[in-house]
Amino acid sequence: MFSIKKYRSTIILGTVLLILSLLSLFVGVIDINLHNLFSGNGMELKIFLLARLPRLLAVLCTGVGMSVAGLIMQQLCMNKFVSPSTGSTIQSAQFGILLSLVFIPSLGLWGRVILAFVTAVLGTWIFVWFIQRIQFKNTVLVPLIGIMFGNVLGGIINFIAYKFEVTQQLSTYFVGSFALIIKGNYELVWLALPLVILAFAFANHFNIVGMGKDFSENLGVNYKLVLFVGLTISAMITASVVTVVGQISYIGLIIPNIVAMFKGDKIRGSLIDTALFGALFVLAADMIARTVISPYELPIELIVGIVGSILFIAMLIYKLNHGRKAIRLGKAKEGSCCG
Amino acid sequence: MDSGILTRPATGSAGIARGERVKPYRTPAQKANVRNLIFLAVIVMVVCACYLLVNAYPDKPQLFRYVLSLRIPTLAVMLIAAFAIGGASIIFQSIINNRIVTPCLLGMNSMYTLVHTAVVFVVGSGSIVATNSNVSFAVDLVVMGIAATFVYSYLFRKTGNNVLYVLLIGTVLSSFFGSIQSTMIRVMDPNEYDTLLTTLVADFNNVNSEVILFSLLLIAALVIFLRKELQLLDVITLGKDQAVNLGVDYDRTVRRLMLGVVLCIAVATAMVGPISFLGLIIANLARQLLRTHKHSHLILGAALMGMLAIIAGQLISQHVFSYAVPISTFITIGGGIYFLYLLLFKKGGI
Amino acid sequence: MKITNLKKKYDGKTVVDSVSFTIPRGKVLSLIGPNGAGKSTVMGMISRLIARDAGDIHFEDKDLSHWNSKELAKKLAILTQHNNVQMKLTVRELVAFGRFPYSGSRLTAEDVRMIDKAIAYMELQEFEDRFIDELSGGQRQRAYIAMVIAQDTEYVLLDEPTNNLDIYHASNMMRTVRRLCDELGKTVILVLHEINYAAFYSDYICAFVDGKIAKFEKVEDVINKETLSEIYKVDFEIIHINGKPLSVYY
Repeated sequence: MFSIKKYRSTIILGTVLLILSLLSLFVGVIDINLHNLFSGNGMELKIFLLARLPRLLAVLCTGVGMSVAGLIMQQLCMNKFVSPSTGSTIQSAQFGILLSLVFIPSLGLWGRVILAFVTAVLGTWIFVWFIQRIQFKNTVLVPLIGIMFGNVLGGIINFIAYKFEVTQQLSTYFVGSFALIIKGNYELVWLALPLVILAFAFANHFNIVGMGKDFSENLGVNYKLVLFVGLTISAMITASVVTVVGQISYIGLIIPNIVAMFKGDKIRGSLIDTALFGALFVLAADMIARTVISPYELPIELIVGIVGSILFIAMLIYKLNHGRKAIRLGKAKEGSCCG
Repeated sequence: MDSGILTRPATGSAGIARGERVKPYRTPAQKANVRNLIFLAVIVMVVCACYLLVNAYPDKPQLFRYVLSLRIPTLAVMLIAAFAIGGASIIFQSIINNRIVTPCLLGMNSMYTLVHTAVVFVVGSGSIVATNSNVSFAVDLVVMGIAATFVYSYLFRKTGNNVLYVLLIGTVLSSFFGSIQSTMIRVMDPNEYDTLLTTLVADFNNVNSEVILFSLLLIAALVIFLRKELQLLDVITLGKDQAVNLGVDYDRTVRRLMLGVVLCIAVATAMVGPISFLGLIIANLARQLLRTHKHSHLILGAALMGMLAIIAGQLISQHVFSYAVPISTFITIGGGIYFLYLLLFKKGGI
Repeated sequence: MKITNLKKKYDGKTVVDSVSFTIPRGKVLSLIGPNGAGKSTVMGMISRLIARDAGDIHFEDKDLSHWNSKELAKKLAILTQHNNVQMKLTVRELVAFGRFPYSGSRLTAEDVRMIDKAIAYMELQEFEDRFIDELSGGQRQRAYIAMVIAQDTEYVLLDEPTNNLDIYHASNMMRTVRRLCDELGKTVILVLHEINYAAFYSDYICAFVDGKIAKFEKVEDVINKETLSEIYKVDFEIIHINGKPLSVYY
């Protein structure tokens, strides 16, 4: 009994995700029905394998990757409001993509992803190094600085893009959208999975480092090394998603917070739920994006941007009105989980 | 309880002296301020002249007239926008009593572009409300006045004026409005996103000069309508407790001033599009140059700074980068860095 | 000023409950009590900064709520702890605001005379052109008091005036409070945390516990072992210095 109760949320999330995933395979401009698919209709099978399935996989990897990246960053920085989008990781990755477009356009996708990796990792390190040096660590000051860092970086990106006349190209690469995902151009996003597994292996270390430098040194954990590894993992996940899909904000920020409300802050306990819920969230947003103005598509970034910013503001107001406590509803509401 | 016990005539003494005004006491700093303002005004005039005359082919009268006919309305737009943003930012900062917060940082300009898009979205791009700039501007102003008052008074009430929360939520609101606006445009016409965007949102290379007269009248009306409140700004600066202590109807004054701020931002955004950091830069530069609390000086200073920044920026953008890089890019980079500097090293009132 | 049956609730929690007292004129009255006892809230309601839920505050001939805010500003001045002005304001300009209820922003000769007097009274002449955000905490507090003096009211309300001041500046502040009463004939009402400042410098003490008045008496009748232990729930010893009772606790 006990174990079922413990994993109940995971099971529910997994089931809902599975159902929604199957459903999503059959949503799109061209109707595909199960019968035709298996009766050997070549055209439909092709669409299914070249577009629908890759899209679903990309969506799932994005959701899992971004939410786990956010969870790691929040733990390591000891701040619930740090994430790839409020820690300037996304803009750093975009900066790498811009550099590759301007300086080594011949390398194509590989050039983009490699430079995105490098700049995302560097940008995240610099940001974290910077906020660790700030004397007054106000919880809200850190994301504010992160967002402004991102803004400045965005301005510099714009400047270079205008100068080298690559603004058009950039706008297609930057706005998060799954519309262009087809077999052959999205596989990079799978990189998120081994990184997430790696994160799971390190989960306890992240937890300990999240308790502070002195605490972790006391337990014999190499603070700097774990911090370094953790930030690199989340920056790389972010970079691969940004390169393939484009910018997807707020996932890494709000998903871990929502899950932590029900499951608490221990990473091992919440990592799988966070990953599943992230995937579910992105999948739902993608389905909305595909259906709202069908046969056209909205970029998913818009849907996520609208829903995400509302949730973020709600979180902030909740935190403000409930003192210094972390965002957590506590045991009393555990029953209403996932409702 | 009458005042018989009073040891000395404490109150009512002002009545005796009524009428016998004295020359306001000016500190040396204030005298320097007047000098600085005049100096600034002269520079602005020089820059305006440069803007009109550089590469204007004065030797070819027809071409010259044509160039001027393009540049004069643009110049007027920039002057009005700078005044609106400068004034609104100073007033807003004084109400909030914080130098880092400006209305544009809290997303008021994105809100205006959203309101404008939403109005066109609802009435359809063919209707008179959408095609006549002045009519659509008037509708926008009304919607904006109501919506902004509602959203921002809720924001300030909910956050209890905690500046960092106000700023963070404002920043998020800004992206929230942007996302909704973008979504609306895509829903209106999924194919022509970029074209529709440029017709709906102005920028410096594409200013909206059709509403110049309307904007001028509106700003003049605001100044007249709010003249009493503007005089009270000096007292409002002391904070709510002190203002009430000195007998000011604080809530009413602030409400009216806020409406003025919202409308000013609407004017500026309608004319030159959303530029988030300009207000922050010019208001703080004005406060640094004119070390005073006198709002008549501060507003004038910020407006002049804004004019200088925009017109000089536009000159550089046109003649150094040949229109390739819009000046809003420079303002974002410079303003963002300046914001971080204020936040981290000045701790302006946090 | 007569206060009857004052009540205030925040979020359903009663913070001030049935408070009634009369403020003795021309005296120094200190409001003391543990944190959250409602003393600052009472002060806020007396000064119209905080809206009351129920009760009357009778001031001169009518209820406080019937006063014109500007007229009231000539009779009653309040100084709260929240005086964090970010704007560039010189000491003289700050003090000049005290004349706002009389002349608006255009000063008369009488106003200038009052401002000069207030600045001289608080010995701020050498700072008068300095910006208040460049002053030390003690100097800034003096500038605010000078503004209150320029406001020329019979009643002066001070909410924790010694907060954030070191011992030197705090005791100077308390001596100033005494002088406001003795030399200028003002009625001063203070919220204080330090019992001994209240004991040494005031005429009356009003002690609050849980939103109610526990004791409102002359100083000697409040500063004794039994009453203080009752209010603060710790043991007190009382000693006398200069004929004034002082409390010792540990």
